[in-house]
Amino acid sequence: MWPIALKTLIADRGKLLTALVGVVFSIVLVNVQGGLFLGFITKAGLLVDHGKADIWIGHKEMHNVDFPRDIPRRWLNRVRGVDGVECAQPYLIGWSDMTLPSGGFESVVVVGVDRGSLLGNVWNMKKGRADSILKTDGIIVDECELAKLEFPEMNEVRELGGRRARVVGMSHGVMGFLVAPYVFTTFDRAAEYLRKAPEVCSYILVQLHDGADVREVCRAIRQRMPEAEVQPSNVFSAISTDFWMMRTGLGISFGAATLLGLLVGLVMVAETMYAMVLDRLGEYGTLKAIGATEKQIFSILLIQALMMATAGAICGLAAVSLVQYAFSTPRAPIIIPYWLSLGGCLLVLCICLVSSLLPYLRIRKVDPHTVLQS
Amino acid sequence: MIDYCMQNDGAAVVIEGLEKSYGTAAGSTPVLKGVDFLVRRGECVYLAGPSGSGKTTLLSIIGCILSADHGRVSILGQDVFALSGKQRTALRRNSLGFVFQRFHLIRGLTTLDNVCVPLTLQGICPTSARRRAMSLLDAVGLADKADKHPCNLSAGQCQRVALARALVGDPELILADEPTASLDAANGQDVMELFRRLTTEEGKTVVLVTHDQRIFRFADRVFWLENGCAVENSREAQSKSQGSGETGSEQPLYAVSCDKSNGE
Ligand SMILES: Nc1ncnc2c1ncn2[C@@H]1O[C@H](COP(=O)(O)OP(=O)(O)O)[C@@H](O)[C@H]1O
Ligand SMILES: [Mg+2]
Repeated sequence: MWPIALKTLIADRGKLLTALVGVVFSIVLVNVQGGLFLGFITKAGLLVDHGKADIWIGHKEMHNVDFPRDIPRRWLNRVRGVDGVECAQPYLIGWSDMTLPSGGFESVVVVGVDRGSLLGNVWNMKKGRADSILKTDGIIVDECELAKLEFPEMNEVRELGGRRARVVGMSHGVMGFLVAPYVFTTFDRAAEYLRKAPEVCSYILVQLHDGADVREVCRAIRQRMPEAEVQPSNVFSAISTDFWMMRTGLGISFGAATLLGLLVGLVMVAETMYAMVLDRLGEYGTLKAIGATEKQIFSILLIQALMMATAGAICGLAAVSLVQYAFSTPRAPIIIPYWLSLGGCLLVLCICLVSSLLPYLRIRKVDPHTVLQS
Repeated sequence: MIDYCMQNDGAAVVIEGLEKSYGTAAGSTPVLKGVDFLVRRGECVYLAGPSGSGKTTLLSIIGCILSADHGRVSILGQDVFALSGKQRTALRRNSLGFVFQRFHLIRGLTTLDNVCVPLTLQGICPTSARRRAMSLLDAVGLADKADKHPCNLSAGQCQRVALARALVGDPELILADEPTASLDAANGQDVMELFRRLTTEEGKTVVLVTHDQRIFRFADRVFWLENGCAVENSREAQSKSQGSGETGSEQPLYAVSCDKSNGE
């Protein structure tokens, strides 16, 4: 049936194009919407994902990396005593504000990193080095947030939490879910900017010995200090993500938009396929009259649907990578993992198959005799 | 009623007491009212009659694309009523060749691909299908139009493509509905001669609907339908024996029956 299906499909270029536009539309929509969503949502656990810690320990019921509650620093020693723990370091996250040259201020999230290990420090440096935070009054900001901070230069001195801060480096694309820019510095200085007592921290970051089992060590730490929340980093990242998903309805709104778009794609493909078949009802009647079985007719439609899905998927994915290339920014990253593209293609395949089902039901009713009489 | 079915098991088409009516909003209209019809293998039989007399309907029933209400229909030795839908489809695909009144070619396909369709449906591999289709296009004189689409052909050429498509699967029984209706006289003659040759040289059986009296001489027999009843027409019977001397002149014309009480 391939030649018949292929050639009749290509013959009707106008309709084929409309259907292809529908398929491409669906593919682009699923990938870009999904990619934007993933880009957004992965920001929620950004510090955890890039922190290089295996385990995060925080206050009971910690639910979001950006909103911590103080825990005692003396827990550190108890954690360090657990089997499998290579190192455990304090980590400080909190809100402060930076005074701007114009006289205004900007809320920032200060991240304090242990001096010795630099565990959880900034990454993806554009200017300066990540360990520049060790310099006197050193802070690192992100170059994508410069506008909010009224464009500080390198080595410019600012006031942060009523204290001196000097921009010693700039990262690129280290932007969290919140609108407030991250400012990285050492733990001790962060405590001063945030006016924290020296005996508290926000989290304890744990790195394990090679070969140590994360879940085993987590269990051991929990047993030793039941008052703490102990999570593997991937779990804490997911918890942070869920926080925003649950509280903002972000997932629902993105999902609804994607679903709606898919529906439009489905209607477009189904509509054109149906129109294409209606146009050729007589020809299907002829095929039936000269001995095409139901199976053969159905396979013609299936092959056409499949080809449209394939062609549309190829064009669509090309369009997606174009869109991603052109529009993905650190502020609104479009993250498209392979499973999203694959899922999008499968979805579109389903759309095409469903679209071919309806016309088939119509063709089933065609009586070749009446077709041939007209 | 004469039970000739018993003696004619080898016949290509045996129809006995055939009744068919169409259900419409106004009720059911009888179209065929007890028709008996027999075509032997290797015969070229014309179905003639005024417009609306049920010729196409009868041809569709012979072609197994329409089912009869009553009567017996046996095509190439198979009782159509006893066949399942699938078996009828297989019969159409493997043993029947159709030439439709309005060609019914597939627009999206080239001439060659159109001729290939029955072979594709039979599952024959594309290369040999194309080779065979090409030889048939050649036979109908359209080898140079193989890559053209039907919309670029004249009516006569389309009709010849349709003919090639009907013949490509090497069917035993060829059914044609007014194949000369859209052709001029010369083209019509050519097509008719081709049908004639198919029966005399290749032993095919042809049932052909026409109301063109000029071509009656190509038929072995002419079967006249009027008001859904078969009527023997002696003039046509004569023209037949003039037109094709050797075939069928010594074959006895079977009695054509029509249950008058059924009609008006
Ligand atoms: N599908 C149909 N539904 C209702 N009436 C029909 C249908 N097909 C044919 N008829 C009627 O049956 C009669 C015979 O039609 P047909 O077999 O096409 O005649 P012919 O081919 O001899 O002109 C006509 O009166 C026509 O109106
Ligand atoms: Mg007719």
